[in-house]
Amino acid sequence: MRNILRNIAFISAFFLAGVLHAGSLTGMVVIANEGVGVDHISAAALRNVYTGRTTYWQGGDHVVIAVCDGMTDEALNEVSGMDPSEFRTFWQRLVFSGRGEEPRTAADANDLVKFVASTKGAIALVPSDAQLKGVKTLVMN
Amino acid sequence: MLPVLLLVLLAATGADSVEAADWSLFGPNGPAIEFHGFASQGFIGTTDYNYLGDSKNGSFEFTEFGLNAAFNPFPRTRIMAQAFSYDVGDAGRYDAVLDYALAEYTFNDYFGIRAGRIRRPQGIYNDIQDVDLARTFILLPQGVYDARYRDFFVSLDGVDLFGTLPLKQAGSLAYELYTGVVRPSLDGGLALQVRNSLPITGRLDEIRSPTIFGGQLWWSTPIDGLRLGASGGFVPGFDYTFTVEGPAGPIRLDEKSDVVILQYSAEYLWKAWTFQNEYEFQNSDSDTPGVPDESSFSWYVSAEYRFNKWIAAGTYYTESYNESFKPGGAGTGATNYPSDANQRDAAVAVRFDLTDWWLFKVEGHYLRGTDLLEDNASNPIRHDNPWWMLDLKTTVSF
Repeated sequence: MRNILRNIAFISAFFLAGVLHAGSLTGMVVIANEGVGVDHISAAALRNVYTGRTTYWQGGDHVVIAVCDGMTDEALNEVSGMDPSEFRTFWQRLVFSGRGEEPRTAADANDLVKFVASTKGAIALVPSDAQLKGVKTLVMN
Repeated sequence: MLPVLLLVLLAATGADSVEAADWSLFGPNGPAIEFHGFASQGFIGTTDYNYLGDSKNGSFEFTEFGLNAAFNPFPRTRIMAQAFSYDVGDAGRYDAVLDYALAEYTFNDYFGIRAGRIRRPQGIYNDIQDVDLARTFILLPQGVYDARYRDFFVSLDGVDLFGTLPLKQAGSLAYELYTGVVRPSLDGGLALQVRNSLPITGRLDEIRSPTIFGGQLWWSTPIDGLRLGASGGFVPGFDYTFTVEGPAGPIRLDEKSDVVILQYSAEYLWKAWTFQNEYEFQNSDSDTPGVPDESSFSWYVSAEYRFNKWIAAGTYYTESYNESFKPGGAGTGATNYPSDANQRDAAVAVRFDLTDWWLFKVEGHYLRGTDLLEDNASNPIRHDNPWWMLDLKTTVSF
């Protein structure tokens, strides 16, 4: 019983230390392959995509996440609630337990856009001043 | 040896990164097959007792490697498989096993189904407990995630229903419900544990494959980064047969029991911190007259901090209790080790991500009690004295 009480106290500390998520994608846009069947996406839906809860788009194409080390880190944190290392570890857990497909890494914004344009179901966060060719921009609502 | 060769080979290339490989088996317009793999080599050194191998002399019998492939042949359908091999002390012995091989169909976010050889969800780490690169620690708290028992706890041949239900302002609830057959190996850790409990002249003949039923719930709370989980498994009729040499010749005996496993979990991610807390309870209710029930429980609390992309550190404290070995308990008459009633372990670990594909870890433990040694032959004398453990491990992955 003493151990259970100790653990309950610890969990309670989690709650007290918690902060509610509030964030916006400043200076970034969400892009997707033109075959993706949505034009708008909510913050909650985007969170579901980046945390592996949503794995398929309407229409059945599987979600393929693409990231760019360094460039998308802050936005990635906002949409997933994880820093880049946590995000990588989180997806490795899914990959090696047979529960997910690891996000792809691009070298820069141009590569990121090219990858999304050529890959069915692909989604990425890119700087709003990137050259967006062959992709659609998902409007946040 | 293979992982070591792989390490050398990869290091010799001087590559900055090793990406997952895609291969189009079905032509340029067909679905690409995605490959991933990992290889780990570790070292365990202990004072006083042999733990997870011949560790008092320093043991390199701490190896894991796996290779997986996955592809999406049709909309909402994914097929994936992983081959795996491991050696932890006397468990594993590099036997190659089909770790998972399954087909998955996702109807929507709320409901999907997996069938085949699937990973069993239990708590934060059960389905990835042999994937070193997915955590900071080398050894997870062993009372909850024993590295030797993966053949019994990690995979099953069966069906898994899964999904995530939105709870509006209350967050979301992810669920998994599964049933299937577990296939313990005679080279696995469970067999070692059973052998260790047999009389000196006993010989384990067979562990039958029991059916398991269970589920896992994860509540992602409205507090960003906090999730709470509960899981349970029920194994009716866990059954093994052993032979004892008696004065009148060998006697073949059968032991059957119902096993219940319960676990609750809490995980909180806050900035560069990760906090975790889990509690696990197991009870084995024997069907054999005269054989007492056994129960055990274990809990841990951990904190990890990532300094930057290359370095993370963590610490945990864990306690494990075996009710059978408490004074007057069912186990004290057989082996007479009061120190087997519990084990307490304080650990500190540092993880170095040398490159995107190569990591190195070092970990120290301060322990008391001998509940989890489970190797009477290698540890003939046991006390409730303090003892120490040093672990090293390196992993490559792609």
